[in-house]
Amino acid sequence: MSDFIQYFFNGLVVGCIFAIAAVGISLLYSVLRLVNFAAGDFLTLGAFITYFLSVTLELNFLLSVVVSMIAGMAISWFLELVLWRNLRRNKAGTLALFLVATGVALMLRPIIQFIFGTETRKFNIDILKTYDFLGARIPQTQLLVLIFASASILTIALFIAKARIGKDMRAYANNPGLASVSGINVDRVVLATWLISGALGSLAGVFQGLVQGQFNNAMGESLLLSFFAAVVLGTIGDAYGALAGGLLLGLIMELSQLSIFFGGVPSNYKPVVAFATLVLVLLFKPEGIFGYRARKV
Amino acid sequence: MADNSSNKSLFTVSSLQGGYGDIQILNGVSIDVPEKNIVTIVGPNGAGKSTILKAVYGIAKVTSGSVTLHKDGKDIDVLATKPHNLSKIGVGYVPQIENVFPALSIEENLEVGYVDFANKSLDEVRDEIYQSYPDLKKRHRDRAGTLSGGQRQMLAMARALMSSPRILLLDEPSAGLAPALVDQLFDELVKINQTGVTILMVEQNARRALAISDYGYVLDMGRNRHEGVGSALVDDPEIVGIYLGKK
Ligand SMILES: Nc1ncnc2c1ncn2[C@@H]1O[C@H](COP(=O)(O)OP(=O)(O)OP(=O)(O)O)[C@@H](O)[C@H]1O
Ligand SMILES: [Mg+2]
Repeated sequence: MSDFIQYFFNGLVVGCIFAIAAVGISLLYSVLRLVNFAAGDFLTLGAFITYFLSVTLELNFLLSVVVSMIAGMAISWFLELVLWRNLRRNKAGTLALFLVATGVALMLRPIIQFIFGTETRKFNIDILKTYDFLGARIPQTQLLVLIFASASILTIALFIAKARIGKDMRAYANNPGLASVSGINVDRVVLATWLISGALGSLAGVFQGLVQGQFNNAMGESLLLSFFAAVVLGTIGDAYGALAGGLLLGLIMELSQLSIFFGGVPSNYKPVVAFATLVLVLLFKPEGIFGYRARKV
Repeated sequence: MADNSSNKSLFTVSSLQGGYGDIQILNGVSIDVPEKNIVTIVGPNGAGKSTILKAVYGIAKVTSGSVTLHKDGKDIDVLATKPHNLSKIGVGYVPQIENVFPALSIEENLEVGYVDFANKSLDEVRDEIYQSYPDLKKRHRDRAGTLSGGQRQMLAMARALMSSPRILLLDEPSAGLAPALVDQLFDELVKINQTGVTILMVEQNARRALAISDYGYVLDMGRNRHEGVGSALVDDPEIVGIYLGKK
C-alpha cells in the first residue's frame, strides 16, 4: 500500500510536469501546425535561467522563476518574428516546420552549453526535507511542485476554456480560414500561443529541475519523447487532451514500477512504458483518448 | 423584399479585377448595394461569385478596383481594412463552406463572433440571438460539429449576426439544405433584413433568392451580364433561359 501511494504521488508530480509541457506543444501544433521539437530545450533553458538568477545572482527564487518565464516568452516571440512567421508566409509545410524546429533544438543545445556549461546544477532549495504519509516518503519540494503545478494546470485549463483569447485560439485551431474572416485577430492568437508555450516551457523546466534535485543541459531533450507521447495520447492538438494525456502518462510510468507489474518495471524502462501505452491506445482509439469526429454533412 | 429600402448606397464594389495567383477571375465587376436592401448575385458555376466576397476578405487577390462601405457619411476603404477589423466596421460574412467551428460549442461559436464595439454586452447580443434561434439555445452546450447541415447554416448566420453587422455578405446560404429548410432560410433572411440589416448574397437557388431581393445581378466570367429589380430578372425570358434554368 505504501508503495502504491509512493508511486502514485510520484506519478502525479511527473504527470503534472508532462501535462504542462505537453499543453504548450499541443497548442503550438493546433494553432501553427508546428511540431515543436525544440520544446525540451526550452525546459532546460528555463531551469538554467532560473538557476542563474536565483543561485548565481542570489535573487529571490519565485522572482527568478517569473523572470525565466518572461525570458521563455521573449525568446519564443523572437523566433516567431525572425523565423516562423517568414516560414509560414512562404507556405512551409508541416514537415518543413518540423525540420526547422529540430534545427532550432540542435542550435539551442550548444548555446545553452556554451553559456551555462555542462556541469550539473542544483537550485538553492532544501530538497532533503520530507514528510511521511501512510508509509510513503513525500519530499517537500515535490509536494510544493505538485501544488504549484496543479494550480498552473487549472489556470491554463480555465484560460483556454473561458478567456476570450483562449476561445479565439481554439476557434483558429479548429478552422483557421473561418477565424480570419469572422473577426478573430489572428496575429493576437499567434502571439498568445507563443507566449503561453514559452512561459510553460520555462515553468515545466523549473519544476522538473526541482523534482530531479539536480539537472544538466540534457534535461529537457531526454523528456521530449514522453511529452510527445502525452500529446498524442490525449489527441493531437487538443489542449485538454494534452493535459490529461500528460497526467495519465506520468501516472502510468510511475505505477508501472509497482511489483505487481512483472515484478516492477525497472525505472530506466519508463520511456518504453510510455510508448507501449501510446501504441496500445492508438491501436484501439486511433484519434487519441479525447478524439472526436465532427458529423459529416 | 424590404419595404424599408432606400436608394442610398451602403456598399459598393467598383470595377473589381483580381483572382488567385496569376489567374484572373474577376474582370471588372461592379455591384451596388443600397442601404437596407437585399441584393443577390447569381450566375453559373465558376462565374466568380464567391471570389467577389473572398476578395473583400483578402483571400482572393485584387489587382484593381475598389470596395467601399458608405457608413454614417464616411467612405471606408474596405480593401484597406484588415479582415479581422471588417466585423468592427459592420461587415459580416458567412462563407459558402466550413462556416462554423465544429469543435467549439454552439455558445462558443457565437461568442467568438461577438465584437465589443456596440454599446451592447455579449450577454445582451447573445440573448437576442437565442430569442430568434431557440433551437440553438436548446443545444447551446453541444459542439457545432454535432449539428445537421441546416442547423449549421443557421449557426453560421447567427455567428455573423453576433457582430451586429450593418451588411451581411452571404455565400450560398441555401446550399445543401432540404427544400423545406430553403423556404425557412429565405423567410429568415427577410426577417433579418427587416431588422435593418442590409444583405448581399450569392445564390444558386436564383429564383427563390431573386424573389425576395430588391435588386439582382447576373454575373458571368467575372463580368456583369445583367442587372435589374429582382422580380424583373426572374421574368426576363432571356435570363431565365440562359442562367436560371427551366422552372
Ligand atoms: N483558391 C483558388 N485558387 C485558384 N482558383 C480558384 C480558387 N478558388 C476558386 N478558384 C477558381 O475561380 C473560379 C471562380 O470561382 P468562384 O468560387 O468564385 O465561383 P462561383 O461563382 O462562386 O461558383 P460556384 O457556384 O461553384 O460556387 C473557378 O474557376 C474556380 O475554379
Ligand atoms: Mg461559390
